[in-house]
Amino acid sequence: MAMVPNKFTLRTENRDNQTIVFVGGEFDLEVATQMRAAMEPLIELADRRLTLNLQDLKYIDSTGIGILISVVKARHARNAPFDVEHVPTHIRKLFDMTGITPFLAKAE
Amino acid sequence: MTKERNVTLSVPALPEYVDLVRLTLYGIASKMKFTFEDIEDMKVAVSEACNNAVLHAYGGDDGNVEVQFVTNADELSITVRDFGRSFKIAENQATPSLHGKSIDEIQSGGLGLYLMQALMDRVEVQHDGGTAVTLTKKRIKSEETA
Repeated sequence: MAMVPNKFTLRTENRDNQTIVFVGGEFDLEVATQMRAAMEPLIELADRRLTLNLQDLKYIDSTGIGILISVVKARHARNAPFDVEHVPTHIRKLFDMTGITPFLAKAE
Repeated sequence: MTKERNVTLSVPALPEYVDLVRLTLYGIASKMKFTFEDIEDMKVAVSEACNNAVLHAYGGDDGNVEVQFVTNADELSITVRDFGRSFKIAENQATPSLHGKSIDEIQSGGLGLYLMQALMDRVEVQHDGGTAVTLTKKRIKSEETA
């Protein structure tokens, strides 16, 4: 394993009725402001499905999980679809541990 | 048999230095032959302790976070210490996790201490002119044959 920090990466892809945000690297306190700012306008697009693809996510802390919770709540308040896909095993463990998993599944 | 050894790292109490603590932890825990899963657990727990110090200890003033890694034959203890004002670690006291809650009940804060306790074998918090959080993980012996 490389001994270099896994830099946070963010990339957005638009499909027909879906916005997919690819979140990679370390999603922690250091990038919280950047992530919140990136998500803000996307949260408002209530007629599009918002999906976070976490396949390249290396690390998440409670700040990152907290941001996911605010997105879940904001999308729910707008009656807008939101889900999270391709969660790596060690990240899934933290989601299960905190109890956020059921809120990240595909549901209308 | 193995003597206690320690490594101490001091970093500015700023978000961009927390990954330095994780890298050091990774190096030490690898040397001790902890499993990948245990190392991941410790990375999260130690970062949570550092985050708390970064966010709450110095109230916007400059300060450092000192992280001391103490290795024994069968466990690693990590103490995260700040020298700022003592703070109460934010915790959603009654039910810190989201289990069994509805979407309207869940909140985005207070999971840090919950995660530390869930991921480590021991968590001790001391307040004396700052806050010191000691996190301990036991190493599973059966990993080694010798």
